Amino acid sequence: MTISSNTPQPQTEPGVASAEDGLVILDGPNGVAITMTPGAAQQTGASLISAAELAERQISDGESRTEE
Amino acid sequence: MFTERFLRHRRGVHLDVDERARVEASISEIRTLPPRTNIVMAGDVLSQSMLLLEGFMSRYIDDRNGLRQLVAVHVPGDFVDLHAFPLKILDHDVATVTAATVAIVPHSALEVIARDMPALTRKLWFSTLIDAAIHRAWLFRLGRLDAVGRVAHFISETNVRLMSAGLSDGRRFALGLIQSDLAEICGLTNVHINRVLRQLREERLCVFRSSLVEILEPEKLAARGQFDPAYLYIDLQSAESPSSRQRPNP
Repeated sequence: MTISSNTPQPQTEPGVASAEDGLVILDGPNGVAITMTPGAAQQTGASLISAAELAERQISDGESRTEE
Repeated sequence: MFTERFLRHRRGVHLDVDERARVEASISEIRTLPPRTNIVMAGDVLSQSMLLLEGFMSRYIDDRNGLRQLVAVHVPGDFVDLHAFPLKILDHDVATVTAATVAIVPHSALEVIARDMPALTRKLWFSTLIDAAIHRAWLFRLGRLDAVGRVAHFISETNVRLMSAGLSDGRRFALGLIQSDLAEICGLTNVHINRVLRQLREERLCVFRSSLVEILEPEKLAARGQFDPAYLYIDLQSAESPSSRQRPNP
């Protein structure tokens, strides 16, 4: 009998951020449920965008290496 | 009878008259405890266990900053720290949430039961296995569910547990928890819990007000929390019968 792996996979759906009582609440994807101060949320947002740009570069670098 | 709620309406296990009488006879003392009071601290050496008769209790672990994670909530009928009988030292603290009444059962009396009554011993073991099943469900809740799902799951679970104890009619029960307790159960901040409760109310699934819970749509709430009561081993049909109910305390 084989047991298939269902480990958590990268999310393709974005989380949803909202403001509540002067704080930022991030819900989802999946089990994500956190509350941040506005400052922490801004820094997290900037860090996420920076990491996303780097990840996209990694994808395009990988694709160009495959073409060579 | 002090033990009437213990293992009540559980599938696959039933205490007969002699067994229930033996557990009753093992009680050395009935103790009334004030709310929000630490009863057992991690590391204490224990020589007794507590059967919860009235009220709510919790087990919890604080992080190094003093922030609390509730790892269990106990309802009337639960043998709160029966696992202390073999362990002797707990790895977590136990506290009252509301005022509570407990029956004290010395470990020496449990030793006699373990020696003389193997069938009853298996039933006591069964009750700690239900605790373990609930822990697994709590892990699932925190690991896989979003904020609304976590709260929906907890309320659905507590509703079924209280139905078994005769303290919920399946839609309405007194919970005795405040929003910050829900936050510590679900790993959420107070503001997040507040928002989730508002969302559940706006979606007409559940209303939580002054520690009184009213479930408007039990099946939809359970679906929202991916809650399947099978792990509680409760015979829902007998738990739902009108004769098994008591009126929830306002």
